[in-house]
Amino acid sequence: MNKSSVSLFIDKFTSSRLFYPLLALALILVLDGIFIPDFFSIQVRNGDLYGRVIDIMRNASTVMVLALGMTLVIATGGIDLSVGAVMAIAASVAAIMMNPVIIGLELPPDLMKFMNDPNFTYSPLWEVILVTLLVAIICGAWNGALVAHMKIQPMVGTLILMIAGRGIAQLITNGVRIQIFYQPYAYIGQGWAVLPFSLYLAFILFGLIWLLVRKTSIGMFIESVGINPKASFYSGINEKNIKMLVYIICGLCAGIAGLIASSNIKTSDANNIGWAIELDAILAVVIGGTSMAGGRFSLLASMIGAMVIQAITTSMYAIGVPAFALQAIKGFVVVLVIFLYAEPVRAFFQKLTLRKAVKA
Amino acid sequence: MFNKNVMLRIFVLAVVLSLALSACGEAAVEAPVATEAPVVVATEAPAEEPVVRGKGSGLPCAPNCQYSDLVVGFLQTGSEGGWRAANTASFNETAEQLGLTLKFYDSQNDLAKQVAGFQQFNEDPDVNVIVLSALETTGWEQLIKDAYAAGKIVVIQDRRIDAPADLFETFIGADFVEEGRKAAREICELLKDSDSKNVWELVGNVGSSAAKDRGQGFREAMGECGLVVTKSQTANWSITEGKQVTEAWLKETTDVQAIFGQNDEMALGAIEALKEAGLTPGVDVVVLSVDATAGAFTAMLAGTLNVTVECNPLLAPQVYEAALMAANGEVLPEWVPSQEGVFRSTDANLQEIADGRKY
Repeated sequence: MNKSSVSLFIDKFTSSRLFYPLLALALILVLDGIFIPDFFSIQVRNGDLYGRVIDIMRNASTVMVLALGMTLVIATGGIDLSVGAVMAIAASVAAIMMNPVIIGLELPPDLMKFMNDPNFTYSPLWEVILVTLLVAIICGAWNGALVAHMKIQPMVGTLILMIAGRGIAQLITNGVRIQIFYQPYAYIGQGWAVLPFSLYLAFILFGLIWLLVRKTSIGMFIESVGINPKASFYSGINEKNIKMLVYIICGLCAGIAGLIASSNIKTSDANNIGWAIELDAILAVVIGGTSMAGGRFSLLASMIGAMVIQAITTSMYAIGVPAFALQAIKGFVVVLVIFLYAEPVRAFFQKLTLRKAVKA
Repeated sequence: MFNKNVMLRIFVLAVVLSLALSACGEAAVEAPVATEAPVVVATEAPAEEPVVRGKGSGLPCAPNCQYSDLVVGFLQTGSEGGWRAANTASFNETAEQLGLTLKFYDSQNDLAKQVAGFQQFNEDPDVNVIVLSALETTGWEQLIKDAYAAGKIVVIQDRRIDAPADLFETFIGADFVEEGRKAAREICELLKDSDSKNVWELVGNVGSSAAKDRGQGFREAMGECGLVVTKSQTANWSITEGKQVTEAWLKETTDVQAIFGQNDEMALGAIEALKEAGLTPGVDVVVLSVDATAGAFTAMLAGTLNVTVECNPLLAPQVYEAALMAANGEVLPEWVPSQEGVFRSTDANLQEIADGRKY
């Protein structure tokens, strides 16, 4: 490789949208590697990989999926606060379809049937998934309609479902936490095929959305709406349809995240599933470098952002931070990561890499 | 700038959310420490106080009050989960059984609504017993005084309030410290043949009284057989976090003999994590939880959970009994701990107990 191509590569890499998220992730992982023994050790169990790094990726998959939808919404200059509540709704719908008997307060007399037969379910898996995702899409369409057609500010419009959604989820399950015994469903969040199944799911979804926005002109339309909705309108882009589309995709992503989260713990926990996760999803997008004001976006960067957040959480547990200090220290690390995006820090890095490139 | 504006709003939202989070938590948690007394002041303060009625003054029907004489106004917090639902159901069903009249008021987790409900009961001539499941710890004194001035008696259930104890009849609720002690003793029993006795503790919401007291009780009693808490972390009462925390610990070491979940959910999460790590929960690692909700029984029947210490929501029989005694002019102790059992996966009639459970 000759000199100019090396410097060109460095230049290209540092100016890439992926550079800062990757740098943040690398920083956290390096610190983990120093402070936590065997952080990177990965074992093979029954042909599956098992280790902390795998944990980070698997637990991040929920936020990754959410971040995909959130990226598109934020790219149009919007925001979706309801994703956590939609997750809870999805989990409740799925659980009640598999286990409608446990609606009452009393345990069902045929409880043993559920436990002894992990293949027992009231509705077949495909039906469960289809209906759940349909409900999630309706939730997304509701948000979209409020924002695009009723012209309600996104933060206010989606706040409605954020607050009401958890109530709806509890209404669906009659305020009861429904346990899920159906094993094929549990595979979504607990299954492994060398890597965790939910991780594949996240990347397949990434691939599909990437194809949708990058191989058609929809991605360009989204960015255009985010940068200047009026100009987009006058240049013939149907702003309303674009907004509807992104909120529907975001709802769908939340539905899938709800499936992953509830199958991971084999329970529909309307109170807790996806609690405050909308903030994690937004943070993932921010760490991924997409501007909150809308415009250019990067799906892959947001996925890495989700991994950064989960890496922080997992590291805190591994280091053994005392419970009362957990939130504060997590916040401190997030602030450090966000500093990477500050203009002065960026300028410093640019100078640094520039000098290296010149030396090379 | 728009950009900054949005960030600011998100920040504000985050703050609001975290407040909401601390306000929610587990069913049996005492209301978060009040910073300010509710601003509701009874507008029509009793003009003249001829006889000062208070704790132990009884009702007109004393000393021959029957359950049928009682008209109970019950101020429930709301309906936030299975525990609360069972608590409400207990009041409805027991009232029917005992033949007393119950007026139910759902405060919908809104303090203003609850205060309004209290005033409504105070003005209701039929109601002679007020049962309060308080949303806030402070600010009840005037309302309680008004109730006594109106010839009623007041019993507090489930959530303790900050008020002089001679103001109301009694408080009936769980003893979280005792729950912690019971948990430690149960683990002692299960690990009596084990050489190392390392326990991992999954803590509830930091600062909630249930989390604090259960942890404290556990530590008080764990010395009796040499248990050592080697790891302790909050999992915020949630299954997901219980699983994540345990999962992270298991990567570091599998030298653990028992896991103590301060509620059922977190223990259930730990069970999932143990399974994935190739350990057999209930056998390789003893798992214990507090609450004894339906989920815990399912897990015990499957053999993955060893013991659950009950946090009983079926308080109505005790509350009504106390109300009747108070109506007859008896002076009750400040605090009547609720009757709570311990259930083990080895219980012979576990299936029967599970079938008979209300929550």
